[in-house]
Amino acid sequence: MGLPREFHEQCRTSLELNYLKTFYFWARDAALSVTNKIIESDAVIPEVKVCTAALRLMLQILNWEFRHDTNSTKASINVFSAVVRHDNASSKRSECVLVQPGPAWCDVLISSGHVGWLLGLYAALRQKFSCKGYWLDCPIAVSARKLIVQFCSLTGSIFASDNGKMQENHMLQLLSGILQWIDPPDVVSKAIEEGKCESEMLDGCRALLSIATVTTHFVFDQLLKAIRPFGTLTLLSTLMCEVVKVLMTNNTDEETWSWEARDILLDTWTILLVPMDGSGGNALLPPEGKHAAANIFAMIVESELKVASASVANDDGDSDYLQASISAMDERLSSYALIARAAIDITIPLLTRHFSERFVRLDQGRGIIDPTETLEELYSLLLITGHVLADEGDGETPLVPTAIQTDFVDIVEAEKHPVVVLSASIIRFAEQSMDPEVRATVFSPRLMEAVIWFLARWSHTYLMPLEESKCHLSHGYDHQHQSIHSRKALLSFFGEHNQGQIVLNIIVRISTMTLMSYPGEKDLQGLTCHHLLHTLVRRKNICHKLVSLDSWRDLANAFINEKVLFLLSSANQRSLAQTLVLSASGLRNSEASNQYVRGLMVHMTTYLVELSNKKNLKSVAQQPDIIMSVSCFLERLRGAASAAEPRTQRAVYEMGISVMNPVLLLLEVYKHESAVIYLLLKFIVDWVDGQISYLEAQETASVIDFCMRLLQLYSSHNIGKISISLSSTLLSEAKTEKYKDLRALLQLLSSLCSKDLVDFSSDSIEVEGTNISQVVYFGLHIVTPLISLELLKYPKLCHDYFSLLSHILEVYPETFAQLNSDAFAHIVGTLDFGLHHQDLEVVNMCLGALKALASYHYRKMCAGKTGLGSHAAGHGNFPEGIFSRFLRSLLQLLLFEDYSPDLVSAAADALLPLILCEQGVYQRLGNELIERQANPMLKSRLANALHSLTSSNHLSSTLDRVNYQRFRKNLNSLLIEVRGFLRTM
Amino acid sequence: MSDEEHHFESKADAGASKTYPQQAGTIRKNGYIVIKARPCKVVEVSTSKTGKHGHAKCHFVGIDIFNGKKLEDIVPSSHNCDVPHVNRADYQLIDISEDGFVSLLTENGNTKDDLKLPTDENLLSQIKDGFAEGKELVVTVMSAMGEEQICALKDIGSKN
Repeated sequence: MGLPREFHEQCRTSLELNYLKTFYFWARDAALSVTNKIIESDAVIPEVKVCTAALRLMLQILNWEFRHDTNSTKASINVFSAVVRHDNASSKRSECVLVQPGPAWCDVLISSGHVGWLLGLYAALRQKFSCKGYWLDCPIAVSARKLIVQFCSLTGSIFASDNGKMQENHMLQLLSGILQWIDPPDVVSKAIEEGKCESEMLDGCRALLSIATVTTHFVFDQLLKAIRPFGTLTLLSTLMCEVVKVLMTNNTDEETWSWEARDILLDTWTILLVPMDGSGGNALLPPEGKHAAANIFAMIVESELKVASASVANDDGDSDYLQASISAMDERLSSYALIARAAIDITIPLLTRHFSERFVRLDQGRGIIDPTETLEELYSLLLITGHVLADEGDGETPLVPTAIQTDFVDIVEAEKHPVVVLSASIIRFAEQSMDPEVRATVFSPRLMEAVIWFLARWSHTYLMPLEESKCHLSHGYDHQHQSIHSRKALLSFFGEHNQGQIVLNIIVRISTMTLMSYPGEKDLQGLTCHHLLHTLVRRKNICHKLVSLDSWRDLANAFINEKVLFLLSSANQRSLAQTLVLSASGLRNSEASNQYVRGLMVHMTTYLVELSNKKNLKSVAQQPDIIMSVSCFLERLRGAASAAEPRTQRAVYEMGISVMNPVLLLLEVYKHESAVIYLLLKFIVDWVDGQISYLEAQETASVIDFCMRLLQLYSSHNIGKISISLSSTLLSEAKTEKYKDLRALLQLLSSLCSKDLVDFSSDSIEVEGTNISQVVYFGLHIVTPLISLELLKYPKLCHDYFSLLSHILEVYPETFAQLNSDAFAHIVGTLDFGLHHQDLEVVNMCLGALKALASYHYRKMCAGKTGLGSHAAGHGNFPEGIFSRFLRSLLQLLLFEDYSPDLVSAAADALLPLILCEQGVYQRLGNELIERQANPMLKSRLANALHSLTSSNHLSSTLDRVNYQRFRKNLNSLLIEVRGFLRTM
Repeated sequence: MSDEEHHFESKADAGASKTYPQQAGTIRKNGYIVIKARPCKVVEVSTSKTGKHGHAKCHFVGIDIFNGKKLEDIVPSSHNCDVPHVNRADYQLIDISEDGFVSLLTENGNTKDDLKLPTDENLLSQIKDGFAEGKELVVTVMSAMGEEQICALKDIGSKN
């Protein structure tokens, strides 16, 4: 409310330190004073309301985001870190707010028996639920429960540093109170199913979640042992089993209480099991906890299978909903994986059993019973197993999960390693898809998607792991020896020198098959191209093997010759070409790699060359089938162009050069076929982008010449063209296409620009190299007229355009000076437009460009040269010269208009050289401003402020860093001083 | 390659054909498709499955390129659809007659007089005004499945 932020911060601190606790006291005392009356009376009395309100207030106070404590504990945080988990580990779970009020609150909340009173109050309330006026969800019960849950997440320095004893006692006290809500789980869940309200049970789950958030799984498990023969993990497991059972029996789409309870409990498990410090080591659970985890995982798998087979019945009516829930499902699956890994030696064999049961069922029932339910079950099993066995790479090569590496101690023979058994059984199953008959009956596209997904995830981790070789080096201590041995057995089993190559061969054959035998299944083929094949070529050692495999050669041959593969969707087409070209890096030397790429692409280029040489090209080209082939080949060329590596650069370069002429001819004949035009442009953009930095001077010249011809041709087709259509959708489509084309052209210019910055060619610098700056200006000159103000409304295009513009103005101001007046005027016009744009970035870039121009001009003037010459002096359309014009509009902007404060320094940097260039104009403008001011006091204030802008802080008339800094300060103080009254006038 | 070549030749002879079969899965957004015997431009394609473990099918939303009406179709993605042969040609505008027909100059020097002015207000006025001002105008005529229509206009400079 007009006050500075500091003031609000102070209020906040003062409230927290001085008043909050007092308020809490009042609330507590109010509640205490009526407690006895409530407990004694059987009927509802007015005091209940008082108590409810007090409880609510206490809850609100505990919800306060205590800051003071977190600051002060930063220094002493390690004291009881054994118990308290740090914020960053638990802050992932935003739903669970930590309560950290600091040591000052200890007396109120803990040592005074406050919790005991609260639990006592609630226990008394529970007795009364049968009475009139009280029920499970009556306001006082709800608030009491909420407060209790809130107490569960109490942590931080409020507890004395006694190794967590105090906190443990606190939690134990709470837990024993909460226990009545959820224990024994089967009785509770039965009661709920019979109509009892579920809110108490859900609150119990939430309390467990809170406790889990503030402890480690060890402490968590120990808590219950004090009062029960088993640990808390066992309780958690039985509780969740009950919940999952209920979930299984009444499987509906509605969100029932069991859904919610399941999610809360799953979160609890995740919090307990998630690796604490990112080092990847889940701490080992005690045997009892492990057992609990195994139980719950078995239950989960059973329920997921049940859900899967039941879901077959309800058809895909809500496929959109399915798509949306996939990410939620992913999160759930990774929680399952955490649980499974906690008891990995039990869960892996379990999964293997489930798989083999279903394989047998499929095998026996083939042709007799409808396999759909089993297929759906396998689908879920594959997803679950994929998560359990391997982590997602996130761009890096994931390691075999630690639990799997370390937990199989006594397995020495690789063939008997449970993970190997499981993986092998899945791979053998997948291999059956090669048989057309089995494929037709068993491998539906959906199941195949899961298979491909699994293979990709699995092979990323297990297939020919890099670690394999390193493994020999790791020296184990004696007690670790066994575990290292079993780890080595696992890792090397699918390694290069063992089964790796065989498995790789199978995977490649399956991939080829999905591309050939599932026509039109875009999702499946997309997974194969983008996921599986990409994963394979990402690693060098796999590439080495790949290029020597017959199956890979078959895939390459199919790519070249098979018509079925021409029908892949465009993105898949591109990705496949890219993958094949990338695999060339596995060949012995650069010559072989280049030869390989040539062999892959020569058919496409010959086709395009021959097509473009046809006499009747114009009529032939319009035929839909020709359009399709051309688009397909362009996509492939683009894929290959984007895969260029130093090793294959030659071949990709030649590929581009050979289709230069055809590209121009096609650009001509397809000028009305926007989809093809866009492909052509994108291919050239990617190709130039990949090649430009390698090219020798001669080659650069020809590429640039080609690009200019392309630009001119495109421009001549599109300038002054008015398309019209009866449908507004088609019109807006046409606009979008235009925008995409132009964006591609700007990208082309930007990559040309980069030639000056990154250059790997062997020529010594600037032998007789082309002047890139001239080329880019010329290109810009061609493109700019096509960009209307309408099109600049597309943020990306606008952004690209201005970053290119400001880049070339900064780097090549001298070329700018040589432009003819029309081109010059156009660029100045756009700069002016950009200055008043809403986008901060755009304005920033324009200011940068202005600064560059003005300082260039000023430096040249100082050196006695002409600088921007006639442009600066002004003529024709701009009688006042560009600098005075921008000086005026920049001052106008700074003093009178709305803008983000972040712009001030950039504006200062542009303003200083402008003022230096046009001192006379600046004087005049300043005087005008002062004259306009009627109020004499404000008048003198303004005059002083303007005066000090150019004179205070020892501002000189040079353009160096120090001076820019001084000027920034000066401008800031000017704005603070005068903007307030100037704008209100 | 020889295979491809053959494919290419045989189709070239069938130049008169109005539509071509093409697998539904390969028809993309911004491509063309025949829906209910009308040539359409595809503005939306989405795929779904027939039943959980069934095959993919494509759902097309197309816009009639001549009258702008919206049409929809669902086809199994491995089946064939008809794709119209859409041709566009540029002609120089030489005259506008009283009864709303235009006279166009073809590449080989003949005139083409069977096209009416477009009904679209904007394009109509652009053509009429431009022509009245003596600008040199090139119109683009789009034809598919036996229909023709002027769809775009370009000003290539004033007559001297």
